[in-house]
Amino acid sequence: MNLVRAELERLCARRFVQLMVVLLVFAFAITAATTLAGSHKPTVSELNSARQQAVEARRSMETTHQECLARQKERSPADTSEYFADCANLDPIRQDRLPIAADFLPGVFSFAEQAESLLYFLIAFLVLFGFLVGASYIGADLNSGGVVNLLLWRPRRLTVLAAKLGTLLGSMLVLSLLASVAYLATFWVIGQSAGLPGRLDDDFWSSLGAVHGRGLVLVLLASAVGFAIATLGRHTSAALGAVAAYAVVWELGGRLVLEIIDVRRSDQLMLSSYIGAWLSGESRFFDPRLCAGTSGTGYCSGLYSLTWAPALLVLVVLTGGLTVAAFAVFRRRDLV
Amino acid sequence: MSAVIEIEGLRKTFHSLRSGRRVAVDGFDLLVEAGQVHGFLGPNGSGKTTTLRALLGLVRADSGRMTVLGEPSPELLPRVAAQVGAIVESPQFFGNFTGHRTLRLLARAGGVPVSRVDEVLDLVGLHDRGDDRVKAYSLGMKQRLAVASALLKDPRLLILDEPANGLDPAGIREMRDLMRSLAANGVTVLVSSHILGEIQLICDHVTIISRGRRVAAGPVDEVLAGYDRHEYLVRVAEPERAVELLHAADLPAAVDGEALVVSGVSDPTMVSRVLGEQGLWVGELTPLRPDLESVFLELTGAYEHPSVPRQVDDSSLPHDEAVIDLDRGVGA
Repeated sequence: MNLVRAELERLCARRFVQLMVVLLVFAFAITAATTLAGSHKPTVSELNSARQQAVEARRSMETTHQECLARQKERSPADTSEYFADCANLDPIRQDRLPIAADFLPGVFSFAEQAESLLYFLIAFLVLFGFLVGASYIGADLNSGGVVNLLLWRPRRLTVLAAKLGTLLGSMLVLSLLASVAYLATFWVIGQSAGLPGRLDDDFWSSLGAVHGRGLVLVLLASAVGFAIATLGRHTSAALGAVAAYAVVWELGGRLVLEIIDVRRSDQLMLSSYIGAWLSGESRFFDPRLCAGTSGTGYCSGLYSLTWAPALLVLVVLTGGLTVAAFAVFRRRDLV
Repeated sequence: MSAVIEIEGLRKTFHSLRSGRRVAVDGFDLLVEAGQVHGFLGPNGSGKTTTLRALLGLVRADSGRMTVLGEPSPELLPRVAAQVGAIVESPQFFGNFTGHRTLRLLARAGGVPVSRVDEVLDLVGLHDRGDDRVKAYSLGMKQRLAVASALLKDPRLLILDEPANGLDPAGIREMRDLMRSLAANGVTVLVSSHILGEIQLICDHVTIISRGRRVAAGPVDEVLAGYDRHEYLVRVAEPERAVELLHAADLPAAVDGEALVVSGVSDPTMVSRVLGEQGLWVGELTPLRPDLESVFLELTGAYEHPSVPRQVDDSSLPHDEAVIDLDRGVGA
């Protein structure tokens, strides 16, 4: 416990951590201020007009769907053109969301409509924060001799490293929770006072809660990955270099090569796909190669999806593997 | 006396792609007994710091047996870690932390009362600078802070690697007094240093390492005595004539500047008598005792190429028969 308390104090006292917190608050303040400045409470006539436009938009969608169904009934059986392909895609009931009044209120912030995208922004920042702080926390300590100092006091390598990792993850969890609650509460207040709260029903909160929960897990995984790579490479820069190299070599170069050699479902081989799938619950990818064998036999969307469960498995295995490797290497490493 | 540190046959090899395999410590032995202030000497790259790091579990030894306060190290080192204060090389501290905060964090991590921080800052002369950031400290002040960190635990065994690094003469003297006072209070001290005069002043025992092997060990006086050639510096009016007279009396002598050096003198009155009987009156008769520096340089081979810059790995390889171990006997 003493070790964790000491590590917590060291972590909080680090200039880099303090700088990142200031940046977080700054980005938060800028976002809130610009949102507040660009929003106003809608008048009754604006609301009525927006509601009317939303009703018309929904009616238009229904009309388009009905027209499609009518054309489908009239077509000859031999006609397989895509124009008649699948009216179900136009069915309003099957849309992710239908037009609502808030869509027709320019300059009015709607909390219900924008909370999720705002939360994604916060999660992206916290993921970056966690990765950089995780890497620098152990990287700087290994490089400066801080770990050696600590081991002279507590010559239990795994305990010391686990205390550092545990402190990092615990701190990141608390910071992320506090930041996200403060962040969402601020925008909720803006919605109430200078915009629209929107429809804040159970579906909204459960959906936002799911994104929030998945985001927190991603922040912790990113922190652990930064910590593990910096431990393996003994430097903060090892983690930054590894991620930059992965992004350039695999996500960009590898993707290009896979395209050239016609590999099917190449997005499944990219870590970014799993991050997206985990965060959003499901990611859909388009691959025309999937339709190569179905020509002439019917409609093929060329879409495939990744869901959160396999995405979580991949992310956990990767993070777990790196962390176990970091502990195994640190246990035997010569600290010179 | 009970052994506080025991090292037997320690061997450590480093491997790297660039420089290949390098034996840093090659079957090294060390014995430090309770209450000793034990000097640990060796040229740069001889294996001192690697030995201390291995002893403290910071590097993994290839082979050998080590114990600290009776516990096998590094396996059971945690059992006695609370009684061992150590600094290895010049420890680096976070520049943005104050000296006080640096020690407070270590105290907290080690379960030491935070009140001890002020005591050790006072002990190493940093009491008034404890609230300054470490980055504002001079090299000597950082070294004092490092020693303070080693003293925090109120240790039974203190291991100090080059504690005088960066200290001014007054600081070196204070460090010497500190070690003496710790030793007087029953703390066993193992100190490695390049400042041989200091080691000779504060240490009662010494171990000298060269190229990873022990070349001398034992009480300082006895190690020095092993290299005493019983030489005397003699000043007389006619040095050349004096040399002839001494040769005639079976006393090897040679002119050295304006004086002469006589070797193998068991009784210095012989010199006075031989020269006085021939009317040459001795103006000065000074014994030339070996000091630790001359013994160190001789044992580690640093005298071999006076006109060529010596490289860090140029120290001599010890021969088994040449090893002096006054605790265990010559050649042990």
